[in-house]
Amino acid sequence: MNKRPSDRFGITVLALAALIAVLLSIMGYFSVTSAPLPNLAGMIAAPFRSVSASLAEMAGSWSAYFTQFDALKEENQQLKLKIAEMEEIVRQAQADRDENVRLREAVGLREQRRDLDLESARVLAQDTSNWSSLLTVNKGTAHDVAVGDCVVTETGYLVGVVTEAGLNWATVRTILDSESSIGALVFRSKSNTLAQGDFALMRENRLTLSYLGTEPDVVSGDLIVTSGLGGYYPSDLVIGHVEEVRTSDNGLAQYAILTPEAELHDLVQVFIITSFDIVD
Amino acid sequence: MLPKSYLAFKWIVYTLATLFLCALQSFVFSHIRILTVTPFIYPILPAVSAMYEGPRRGAYFALSFGFLCDLLLPAPFTGFFVIVFPMIALLSASIAGNMLSPGFFCALLVSALGLLMTGGARVLLQLLSGGGDLTLRAWVALTEALLSLPALVVALPLFRTIHRRCASDY
Repeated sequence: MNKRPSDRFGITVLALAALIAVLLSIMGYFSVTSAPLPNLAGMIAAPFRSVSASLAEMAGSWSAYFTQFDALKEENQQLKLKIAEMEEIVRQAQADRDENVRLREAVGLREQRRDLDLESARVLAQDTSNWSSLLTVNKGTAHDVAVGDCVVTETGYLVGVVTEAGLNWATVRTILDSESSIGALVFRSKSNTLAQGDFALMRENRLTLSYLGTEPDVVSGDLIVTSGLGGYYPSDLVIGHVEEVRTSDNGLAQYAILTPEAELHDLVQVFIITSFDIVD
Repeated sequence: MLPKSYLAFKWIVYTLATLFLCALQSFVFSHIRILTVTPFIYPILPAVSAMYEGPRRGAYFALSFGFLCDLLLPAPFTGFFVIVFPMIALLSASIAGNMLSPGFFCALLVSALGLLMTGGARVLLQLLSGGGDLTLRAWVALTEALLSLPALVVALPLFRTIHRRCASDY
């Protein structure tokens, strides 16, 4: 039976679409940072994204000035109290640190060091769609940004990891994304675990802490940091706090719900850790 | 048959309209969250354009737009939009040519089908790659489609005006 011209055209278009998709995939497969065409598209789109990010930031600041005054005032009071508490902790920590240095010298250990090379970047777009949680920033391979680099806020809270790097742009998968998975550590008990994004929790701005075992040493309120195991990511980057500990459906293991410290939906500026050297 | 220069002018206008709707998605719709779901209006564009312009031109538009979306937007795999959008365009043109004449109800139907096809393809791909919870993902896809349909209020008059104006001017 002869196909109608419209049928042949439809098949031709779909075949062409499949060919384009395969070519794009092949280009992406053979590229470490970003395929040539997406890189070029990202470079062209970067200035437009920058302008739109600036406009959105201006509009947000203008509206926040009128709508968030009371909330900011209350937050300011709370932060002042918190600063006073933390200053006390810092004084104690400084004394402990000095003692640590003396003791390390006494037994001949290497000096502790934590060197992080940071590249400041502006968030151009937040691709927080219903299916992923990604950011686009305005720094790329031209600024020594590479796939796998960690991204943090100005206060050192973990935002995510670079998954794609163009010449002057990079895509960051945030810790909320369902494909995100980072080695983590319970700061209090030093238990190793895994901080993973979850599709069900992503839109609620939360993630899970997995592989806790049957009797985990983690409680609500515990601080979770990166473990640094394997040397892929720096250690001790703050991920968030435990909100609650739950038992899995099969009852064999427990997992925790984590609230990230970084406010991932309001990011304007982030810092990319392009290299690090940590001696514990 | 329209002269090539006039065709080029028409599709430049369509491109500007598409950019305007993309800006709407970035500046307005992406900040709307209802039941933790955000509208995603891009599948409406190839559906409505193919409804008016027919299968050939609609498919070419969908192919181009899908290609750009694949370069700039996150997707389940590279080439996702370049495959799905032409399918939406061909289906839309087929419905407009055989079932319903181009208009509001036809646009509503083809847009709904386009949105459900896009969401359904995402759900299927995530399930095949090991992602669980089919019910939740299907709910998100359905809610996303429902929240995106009101964008027809802007997209349909815009594309209709371009189609009719360009057809009548010549």
